[in-house]
Amino acid sequence: MIKPKVCILRTDGTNCDEELFYAFEKFGSSPQYVHINELRAKSKKLKAFQILALPGGFAYGDDVASGKILAVELVSFLKDQLQEYIIKKGLIFGVCNGFQVLVRTGLLPFGKLGKMDVTLAQNESGHFECRWVNLKIETSRCVFLDDHKRQVSQLAVNHGEGKFFADTKTIKKIEDENLVVFRYVDEDGKQTQLYPQNPNGSTNAIAGICDPTGRILGLMPHPEKFVDITQHPNWRRKKFDPPHGAFIFEEMIRYAQNS
Amino acid sequence: MIYEVRIASKEKTDPKGQNLLAEIERTLGVKTIKNIRTAKIYRLEGISKSDAKIFTQKVLFEPIDQKMTFNQPIFKGTDHLVEVAYKPGVMNPEAGSLLKSAKDIGIDLLAADSSWEYAFFGKFAKDQLQAIIKRLLVNETVEHVVEKSPKTLLISGHAGKIQTIPIRGLDDRQLMELSQDKLFLNLEEMKVIQNYFAKIDRDPTDCEVEVLAQTWSEHCVHKTFKAKLIIDGKAKKPLIERIKETAKFSQKFIVSAFVDNSGVIDFYNGWAVSGKVETHNSPSAIEPYGGAMTGSGGVFRDILGTGQGAKPIISTDIFCFAPPSLPAKDLPPGCLPPDYLLRKVVAGVRDYGNRVGIPTNNGSIHFHNDFRAKPTVAVGSYGLIPKKQANKRRPKKGDLILTIGGATGRDGIHGATFSSGEMTDRTIEVSGSAVQIGNAIEEKRIIDCVLALRQQNLFRTLTDCGAGGYSSAIGEMGQKIGARVYLEKVPLKYSGLSPWEIFLSESQERMVLAIAPKNLKKVLKICKLYNVQSAILGKFDGSKRIKVTYDDQLVCDLSMQFLHHGLPQRRMVGKTIVKMIPDKPPKQPKDLSAVWLKVMSHGNVCSKEPIVRQYDHNVQGTNALHPLGGVNFDAPNDGAVVRPILNKPYGLVVTHGLNPILNRIDPYWGSIWATCEAVSNFVAIGGDLKNAALIDNFIWPFPDEESLADLDKSVDACCDMAKLLDMPFISGKDSLSSTYRYPDGRVLKIPPVLLISVFGKIPDVKKTTSSDFKKVGSTIVLIGKPDLKNLGGSVYFDVAGGQSSSVPKINLKSQKAVLTSITAGIRSGQILACHDISEGGLAAAMAEMCFGSDCGAEIDLSSIALAKEDHPDFILFSETAGTFLIEVANPIVAKKLFAKVPHVIIGQTIKERSIRVNLGPKNLCNLRLDQLKQAWQKPMKEIFHD
Repeated sequence: MIKPKVCILRTDGTNCDEELFYAFEKFGSSPQYVHINELRAKSKKLKAFQILALPGGFAYGDDVASGKILAVELVSFLKDQLQEYIIKKGLIFGVCNGFQVLVRTGLLPFGKLGKMDVTLAQNESGHFECRWVNLKIETSRCVFLDDHKRQVSQLAVNHGEGKFFADTKTIKKIEDENLVVFRYVDEDGKQTQLYPQNPNGSTNAIAGICDPTGRILGLMPHPEKFVDITQHPNWRRKKFDPPHGAFIFEEMIRYAQNS
Repeated sequence: MIYEVRIASKEKTDPKGQNLLAEIERTLGVKTIKNIRTAKIYRLEGISKSDAKIFTQKVLFEPIDQKMTFNQPIFKGTDHLVEVAYKPGVMNPEAGSLLKSAKDIGIDLLAADSSWEYAFFGKFAKDQLQAIIKRLLVNETVEHVVEKSPKTLLISGHAGKIQTIPIRGLDDRQLMELSQDKLFLNLEEMKVIQNYFAKIDRDPTDCEVEVLAQTWSEHCVHKTFKAKLIIDGKAKKPLIERIKETAKFSQKFIVSAFVDNSGVIDFYNGWAVSGKVETHNSPSAIEPYGGAMTGSGGVFRDILGTGQGAKPIISTDIFCFAPPSLPAKDLPPGCLPPDYLLRKVVAGVRDYGNRVGIPTNNGSIHFHNDFRAKPTVAVGSYGLIPKKQANKRRPKKGDLILTIGGATGRDGIHGATFSSGEMTDRTIEVSGSAVQIGNAIEEKRIIDCVLALRQQNLFRTLTDCGAGGYSSAIGEMGQKIGARVYLEKVPLKYSGLSPWEIFLSESQERMVLAIAPKNLKKVLKICKLYNVQSAILGKFDGSKRIKVTYDDQLVCDLSMQFLHHGLPQRRMVGKTIVKMIPDKPPKQPKDLSAVWLKVMSHGNVCSKEPIVRQYDHNVQGTNALHPLGGVNFDAPNDGAVVRPILNKPYGLVVTHGLNPILNRIDPYWGSIWATCEAVSNFVAIGGDLKNAALIDNFIWPFPDEESLADLDKSVDACCDMAKLLDMPFISGKDSLSSTYRYPDGRVLKIPPVLLISVFGKIPDVKKTTSSDFKKVGSTIVLIGKPDLKNLGGSVYFDVAGGQSSSVPKINLKSQKAVLTSITAGIRSGQILACHDISEGGLAAAMAEMCFGSDCGAEIDLSSIALAKEDHPDFILFSETAGTFLIEVANPIVAKKLFAKVPHVIIGQTIKERSIRVNLGPKNLCNLRLDQLKQAWQKPMKEIFHD
């Protein structure tokens, strides 16, 4: 079977690209690093890929706001390429900084390039947080994720601006349309506003969302940092098989392969 | 015209304001402020009004959770409003992004800046406001309070002229005047320079004098470590020679030692790993945020500048401060308060390391009163490089000198020379320009770019611009061959720099590469792809001189031979002065539990979790042993294990050890302790001594006779341990300026710090262990021979008011066997948990092992107490490095594993969440784990408001 091609988008300050590359490679796709300047110069084109992945990091230092400068660049220079890619039903996946970029381009939650409807604001703790959290997988419109029946996964968060926020109406719309894919939960699997289980104070504990087509997914936690057993802090205490980040890649790649 | 845009959060929550408020209440005790709100101010210059509004809407303002004003105040009804900005000339990293984004949306913008505005609500006195500004808001070295909006953001000026220094006519006094506060050379060295110019029959330029001072600075050339020594009347080999000799012990796996920007050892499958630890004490003392940032940046570039460019994969941070509770009156003039230093240094490491994307997964913090005049800030990094590219090459005649990265400004002038001098109350004033704010994204760009260039083998060699800037980088690279430099080609941040300033500037995030002309086109293309600025500054020309011009005017023309070999070898005399500390052990405590809780709260023992959580220790996805683990992810491990090649099981293990207090009481045994602690941490998590190397950092007071004799003993201890364990030192650094001089001439010696770092390879990260107890009913064993008599310098003595000049003596005879037995036990999977015993003793180690588990422990001290005088408090709190607590399934396993080494089965893990300590049939204390944990977590939670 042909391996789906994955564009790992890089720019100044991208920094979780290598582990993302590794995860995509490990689960059977064919990732490639692409610098945004190559897309701008059209020496590489988005339409050659089935998955566009935006890694974590600090694109352009997260100056002004996290992911902002890159989002402005994408909307200014790659609007046409992006629209063409979306019409051709390509998948888009943003982790952490990548999620911040998707939100600031407007692609999440409602697929409106250039119009921002939600934000990822500074953590309520006021600073960067690196810790492991429990996540519940919701039944959502995400086309490539199976129904995980509210399974709980443990993944790492590493961010300073991850507080999912929007006005009440928008939040309701997101929830009503089943766009919520991940929520922060406590030990009992219940969504929580308590720190540090909800590490940033996200509204309704929202950690990840998709767009109405279900083909664009963004989340703050890092599934790519838990695709091998030894990446978890407590692999010596507990059996984690399979590693909790694996299913996202397996299912996304399988979907890309079959469509 | 400058347009001002103010952006603030619409919501009532303002984490930045709340943190400041909490900090004001904690440190200044001001309780009358009701609320603090913050706003970002952007200033835009050279832009039309309509474009400024478009730029604001598209880039600056997010209406979902923000409000905005345009050329208007944003807060109403405030009692005080304070705007804090970087001083003009200090580079604000955000400005570049603003310009880029304007360009991306097709808007003309000439200059931009950003700053923060703080709005205070509530009545408080003017002097309280001044205290808030001075102590918490503004570091006057790089920031200022904006009283009036600036008329322009552009900095301009005319380049200064090249000056001639009439050195040939100066007498001794005048020579020393020239040296003081600027060159930091002694009279003998000044005279060598004078004679050189007398011989070539001309006076030097300002640049030549500066180049010599920088190249010959203690910071760059390590005169003390190379000096001929007479210690207590006996001639001894130079310190550096003794250390370098250890590299002969295990040559097999050493790729390079003491010749490159970092030491390199063999890894697996054609890869090598490199390690380097630097100190950044002087800059961090006067501008902790920028100092910590540029310290991290410098050590990452040391890794990047190794061989043909190693990729940084680990960052480590080790700090020593005065206790945060230090009364303000005890703070020496010109020094910053320790809690401010701590918070700002942590923020600097966080904001730099996190952005560059290098996991900060190992470190520690130590506290002692005598760090009040100057902290110790050590930053380390480790890198991965193909072995065939790991050896340094030299430039060839005709190679081009290419600079990449940041532009050059006036920042960091005199960093190398200033770091070599002692600190006084005038240091901030005189050397303020020696510190700067780092630009992490610039660093990330050059790392990405250099690694791409390396992959295609497009450059001959490279080095980083650190202390001494281009002068040092080009001077070192061209040492054997000579270099011709055209300074007018250097990209500048702003005009107005004198030629010598351009050559000596220590502006961050720059590298110098030697490029064969045929590769130039390809190199420039890759630089452009990564948005990295580059310029050709000249070439390596075969002249064996360093010749520098600025628009055809001669700036510097020195022979490389004189520059690098003209410095006379120093002869230095050391004399031992035995520290007399009366032996006064604390009274036997009636309540062991109370003392135990105090030990857990001691700065050197307490949890550092609020700091660790702010560092991205998980980026790159390589951790196989995280800094914190266990049931609640809050129990500390002894070091880092990473898997740098994600699809391979190979591990790189990194740990460190230090104990400044012991070093000061007893330089020899304190240094044995530090080395032993570092290797014990290494072995405790699964490291293999046979495949490991050591890095030394001596952070010492200015080497007067007494400090030099102490340093000599410390070096001897390092070498003795290296020999005992068959381990080589392959990299190291000394910083001999831990001295503070009060205005009245009194001298405060900062405690000497020997920091030992260990790194090495293991074939499989699965054969490692963590510190948390795994099961109820396991056997707890103490391995090694604790020193139950000597507790001088211990945390226990500190909290219980005891003192002694006898520091713990490590049993050197059994040490290697002890370490080997642990390695065997971990490899065979029979050691379920392991923790080395250090500060806080067995008591603290056991508590930490319980914190990560879901069980408690019951132990019997009578198994350890061999003699009558072995008191329980001494057994619990003895800090003998090289001893371990381990968990095994049952006593039979323990007996088998440790048959040949000193060991005692001391108890077992229990279901109850407490620690029960017995002495034979008698129960001595019974402490609940939640009590212990609370005491242990409280100190840092308070400082970091978690």
